[in-house]
Amino acid sequence: MKLQHTLGGLEGLGPVWTETRVFVEEWEKGIFGIHTAMMALSPQLPLPETSSVFKTVWTWADLRKGAESMNPFDYFKYRYYEKWLGGISGYFVANGYITADELEAKTAEYLTDPDKPLPEGGAPEIDARIVQYLVDGDSPKRDVDPKPAFAVGDTVLIKNVPTVEHTRLPGFLRNKTGVVTEVYPGAYVYLTDTGADGIGDAIEKAMPVYCVKFDPADLWPGNAESNFSLYADLYAAYVAEPVPAAAAA
Amino acid sequence: MSDRFFYDADREKKNAARAKALQALLIEKGVITSKTVDTVLGYFETKMGPFNGAKAVAKAWVDPAYRERLVADTPAAIAELDFPEGMAGAEGEHMKAVANGDGVHNLIICTLCSCYPWPVLGLPPYWYKDPTFRSRAAREPRAVLKEFGLDVPADVEIKVWDSSAQIRWFVVPERPEGTEGMSEEQLAALVTPESMMGVAVAKAA
Repeated sequence: MKLQHTLGGLEGLGPVWTETRVFVEEWEKGIFGIHTAMMALSPQLPLPETSSVFKTVWTWADLRKGAESMNPFDYFKYRYYEKWLGGISGYFVANGYITADELEAKTAEYLTDPDKPLPEGGAPEIDARIVQYLVDGDSPKRDVDPKPAFAVGDTVLIKNVPTVEHTRLPGFLRNKTGVVTEVYPGAYVYLTDTGADGIGDAIEKAMPVYCVKFDPADLWPGNAESNFSLYADLYAAYVAEPVPAAAAA
Repeated sequence: MSDRFFYDADREKKNAARAKALQALLIEKGVITSKTVDTVLGYFETKMGPFNGAKAVAKAWVDPAYRERLVADTPAAIAELDFPEGMAGAEGEHMKAVANGDGVHNLIICTLCSCYPWPVLGLPPYWYKDPTFRSRAAREPRAVLKEFGLDVPADVEIKVWDSSAQIRWFVVPERPEGTEGMSEEQLAALVTPESMMGVAVAKAA
């Protein structure tokens, strides 16, 4: 279990940062643009082939996995897009698109001369595909009969699944009970297979998603504010039948 | 938030050089083009952004039946309006609106990352991505909202929505008093991204 999987409810963190800007440094725009391009050019999408040499899969799951695998102190230390810059640079090196030496040398060049222009070039079809991705999106909904095991009003127990690398189950909900408030129509996959954690991109892993309501007094007994409810959207793999009271005793 | 750690004095200069170096290498190698980053940013300036969400909210303020449809079937209600194509595109494939009012205040969070409804709100502001906000809003939303300058009375129920699967949530804030007779366009100008995520309310200018 990683700290990043169970951020909800942590104490002692001090005041929130109320910054309303999307980018606080100009360079952050560049790394955001690169990440979006990578998602759009990722080869599993049903979009027209382009001359881009990008041929490996990159989705939100890859970005999230990188952030979740960080040392928790570093996770809190580095600003949002600093984490992206580290994770994405590392990916391009690890997958052989660039070398660490090339990146160091080029970084040194721009440190010396920050205004040195970027190179020119590239086929317009690459950018056309990126816009097409933004327009089409990448829905996880699949045309599969979802056969939901639970209905609105059912009390459910949230499983403590064996997460290793990545999960979409917030840690503070594990082993807690909640009430289903919505069964979303259809069946849903996830961007990548999370192994024993239980969700994935294969059609066999298309499953219902439930909206589950939790009482904060159950999540943090004696230590939550009153008159509020917490709702979370949870894949069926994370949701189970509550243990009968007799068996639990 | 930055006094807990040691940071390099050249932190931002180095980040900037590294980001530009990466972009330059990716152009040279043929991964992206020299126009890619501007293409992406331009898209969020013109096609996907809080200007879309604000229009939908303003419409909901003047048309109660639309407000009901926006909450009951968000994608269909969004599709009714004159928006650019792609309103069910990236990070908007499954959007859902919740409305404030009748003793309820809604707050949208993402404790695992920073899921955000791109077509109607564009890109998430820093407060939404901050680990401290994501941690604390789940357990003590009133205290957090107070830090944003918003006092939610004790008798108003707060509903916190954690965006952990496919749904991208947003809030339809309440129409502020003293806005009678304003046009939809004037009303839309009162709708901020913060009010559509629940850390603020809409105010009459």
